[in-house]
Amino acid sequence: MSTTLALARREITGLFYSPIGYIVLAIYLLFVGLLFSLLVLQPGAIADPGPMFQWNHLILIFVVPFMTMSLFSEEYRSGRIETLRTSPITDFQLLMGKFLGAMGFYCVVIASSLIFILILSLFGRPDYMTVLTSYLGLLLMGMLMVSIGLFFSACTQHQILAAMSSCVTLVALGILFQAISYFLGSALGVSWAWLRTLRHVLRYLAIEPHMVNFSRGILDSQNIVFFLTGAGLFLFLTYVVLESRKWR
Amino acid sequence: MSQPAEIVVEQLTKAYGKFLAVDNISFAVPKGMVVGFLGPNGAGKTTTIRMLTCFMPPTSGTARVGGFDVFHDSLKVRKNLGYLPENAPLYLEMRVAEYLQFRGRLRGMDRGSIKKRIDEVTELCWLSDRKRWPISKLSKGYRQRLGIADALLHNPPVLVLDEPTVGLDPSQIRETRKLIANLAGLHTVLLSTHILSEVELVCRKVIIIGRGKILAQGSPEELKQQCAQRGSGARLVLELRGPADQIRTALAALPGIEQARIISDNAVCAVELSGKLDGAMREQIAAMVQQRGWALREMRSAGASLEEFFVQITDPGAAAAA
Repeated sequence: MSTTLALARREITGLFYSPIGYIVLAIYLLFVGLLFSLLVLQPGAIADPGPMFQWNHLILIFVVPFMTMSLFSEEYRSGRIETLRTSPITDFQLLMGKFLGAMGFYCVVIASSLIFILILSLFGRPDYMTVLTSYLGLLLMGMLMVSIGLFFSACTQHQILAAMSSCVTLVALGILFQAISYFLGSALGVSWAWLRTLRHVLRYLAIEPHMVNFSRGILDSQNIVFFLTGAGLFLFLTYVVLESRKWR
Repeated sequence: MSQPAEIVVEQLTKAYGKFLAVDNISFAVPKGMVVGFLGPNGAGKTTTIRMLTCFMPPTSGTARVGGFDVFHDSLKVRKNLGYLPENAPLYLEMRVAEYLQFRGRLRGMDRGSIKKRIDEVTELCWLSDRKRWPISKLSKGYRQRLGIADALLHNPPVLVLDEPTVGLDPSQIRETRKLIANLAGLHTVLLSTHILSEVELVCRKVIIIGRGKILAQGSPEELKQQCAQRGSGARLVLELRGPADQIRTALAALPGIEQARIISDNAVCAVELSGKLDGAMREQIAAMVQQRGWALREMRSAGASLEEFFVQITDPGAAAAA
């Protein structure tokens, strides 16, 4: 456990030492600020930060890949993977260390948006329990996003390639699937059974429908299971990739 | 060699597709000895080392480090092993002490012993005055030393150093060799290098590898002897005063001398002889020179160096051409 934490701590400090960490933080704050001022902080509106959380993933799908791109890629490229893998740590500890490290930084990033809750509380009284469930939703969503980023980082020694692949995957989950399912539902107007099934599958795989409940203060096991199984799947795949690299 | 072997390699093979990077090699490194692992670039040194350090599994064969199998007891092997990879890759944004602390925690050391060992290894590797420095600001030589300090941190019984003196300046190279030589007895060291003088200075045993196979092993002296016995390597250099062409023809006419070559001819003439150059032959040469009245200044044997041996066995083509 302590080795895992040592690895995680190094990842977090590594991100704070590099400009990437601060750029990620700044961009996130800028766009959450936009969401906040356009959707939440309106004259006469109720003090509900919900929309800010409901659409938060639209920012994070472009931000998280830059947090995770270097996790393994940079170790491969620099050759440090050799010092890591010849240390007495298991692949699982290595994986968990990297994952927890990135999650730690992710938590710092999403916690920075607390400033907007503070601003809101100056003008009204938001429902703090809803804020809490929203952050829980962001945390679970982060686990999925970070594990996807981790997976692509483990696949290649090129950071940019890792960032782009995870970005494409996250855009599919965050925007594309939902758009296609919306298009299939309204524009076509036909009702073939397989089309309806496809629509449902795509809608289930999309992020936004799962986030919306959290942002309204609803804890639905379906949403929690979605994020956890997704994260578990990609962590498992990353583990497989790590194991397989040994044999090449 | 009654000491038990700390590293035992048996019929180790690593194949990349059809290419055999390491082809069925076996050797042993006795406990407490510094052993040189020598070979030209691409000979399979790094591949062998990567298998010993559990970075990649062998295609076939076994290797045991400190009594543990690298495949089945990989974690135990890695606990007992200090490894300096080629080029010593580091986290550039960390500070020296911070990096060592991180490495100590990865190896499951407790805080107290980490602190104590950091002081010891930075002292040992001449890093004490750089402890607070960011690694990115360190020169290549200092980074290399940090790599060695890292390998020594948990005081492992076995050390594997892959080209530890690359990128160091001459005085650092000398200091590093001294350091490695001092490790003998306390640690078993496998030292990979392609610098021959390094091996002669610090190693008591040498393993030479080429094209994935072990070409020779033994102490540096044994290998030099082997080289001399092969004949082609041994040469005799004479320095004497007299007419150069007369000297050359007279020496070449001696039975058993294959070739006499004038190396330099200004007032004093230097001749290099090759052929059968045993003790009797040398006495004969001396007698002949004295009889002719040429003043003999020096007679020395040359060529039976480890370098010559290395070139001969690693590159048969070059040896034939020489």
